[in-house]
Amino acid sequence: MSLTLAERQAISAAARWYAALQSGVATDAERAAWNAWLVADPVHLQAWQRMTAVAEQMASVPGAVAAPALRGLERTRRQVLRSVMILMPAASLGWLSWRSDTPQQLFADFRTTVGERRQFQLADGSRLWLNTDSAVNLRYDGSQRLLDLLQGEILISTAPDAAQRPFKIHTRHGEVLALGTRFIVRTHEQNAEVAVIEKAVEVRTASAGAAIRVEAGQRLDFNKRSSGAVQRSDASVGAWQQGSIIAVERPLAELLADLSRYRRGVLRCDPQIARMKVSGAFPIDDTDLALTALESGLSLRVTRFSRYWVHVSAAAVAH
Amino acid sequence: MSANDASLHTAVNDLYCEHHGWLNGWLRQRLGNAFDAADLTQDTFVRVLKARSALEIREPRPYLSRIANGLLIDLFRRRSLEQSYLQALAAMPEALQPSPEEQAIMLQALVEIDRLLQGLGPKVKQVLILSQFDGLTYPQIAAQLGISLRSVNKHMAKAMEHCCLMQIQMQLA
Repeated sequence: MSLTLAERQAISAAARWYAALQSGVATDAERAAWNAWLVADPVHLQAWQRMTAVAEQMASVPGAVAAPALRGLERTRRQVLRSVMILMPAASLGWLSWRSDTPQQLFADFRTTVGERRQFQLADGSRLWLNTDSAVNLRYDGSQRLLDLLQGEILISTAPDAAQRPFKIHTRHGEVLALGTRFIVRTHEQNAEVAVIEKAVEVRTASAGAAIRVEAGQRLDFNKRSSGAVQRSDASVGAWQQGSIIAVERPLAELLADLSRYRRGVLRCDPQIARMKVSGAFPIDDTDLALTALESGLSLRVTRFSRYWVHVSAAAVAH
Repeated sequence: MSANDASLHTAVNDLYCEHHGWLNGWLRQRLGNAFDAADLTQDTFVRVLKARSALEIREPRPYLSRIANGLLIDLFRRRSLEQSYLQALAAMPEALQPSPEEQAIMLQALVEIDRLLQGLGPKVKQVLILSQFDGLTYPQIAAQLGISLRSVNKHMAKAMEHCCLMQIQMQLA
């Protein structure tokens, strides 16, 4: 293994920090000490990122399935050795990638995990909020202030720049130029979307000839090939910054999909209630609380098989 | 093909002709099933070819059976993981069963996770599973296993270090 002694030692230390912070009872003092360790040496940061990669790999399978499967292993291993069982044709289990993160996203300048939200003050005074599971690289230079949105959703509040450098958000679907403003950019697999809260932005894509101007209260979907029409955005956009999802007459399945951005694992509902219309404000920092609100407010039944496996169904009719 | 490659191929070919039947029988005896035996026999010779050491083999049968044994263990690990995974899934209500595609993705991910965990002591592994997969806090784990908080913490650190080194090793391989 080609690790230097320093790298090897940093991995041991990172493992001890990880263990300390995972306890469920870590103190602020511990977190501060961990932070000091983290920034003390680039080797520490690298080791920590490796630790996070391990944790993410483990989180790739819902705990409800992984825990009993891994635990039952020693027992079944003996059974298998006694008699040979063919349960699934091996050919059907070709290599399938299970992690959506690329190393590029894991090692981004600013990053949030699932369920996390963070705020950053940038060097020029602009402010950046990262919503759940997002990654951003910062590329400021003499001629521009550029943020590279690799994944997820951000809210920007720009500050005027002494050097008058333009402020841009780059996504793989196109670029957004800020015009002294406050706005949200979210990137998906197939497209990106921008919603403006104050002032305006200009969107440039590879295909569009001219930049498209989006004003406060408007939103736009775009990708490399095309962009939709500028639309009126609803008032709930950016509610995540205050820690909630605001739903107005939204189909239940859509709301659950939105909630599952903030938690790991499977969150689903019965197909027969998927279109049921739901309104309300739901906390995203405690999605279990949001589910409880759904349960009591709409007489739904929320079945928790584990914290990673939750199913919503219609409540049984009382007789 | 260089002269070296040509002689290597000849050597593997000779090895195949001479010991293929024997290896197949050896594997069949252990697997009790002709299809898997044929597959693993084939895989064994592919390994030999890749290792490029066919010219230096002094004792072919111990050499071949050592490789075959490694492949056998991999197969057992995978099969038993599949079985225990399917048992875990079977405990779920039918309506919640993931699609065959999701199942295959999860199983592959589990195989990779299991590989990270390979070589961990039983107690350390137990702590890791309770923390990372069951989502228990350390006080809960300590109570459940009847060990101190300090031990839970120590076991977790050890487990994470081990898994991290395994992950690096697998990436380098």
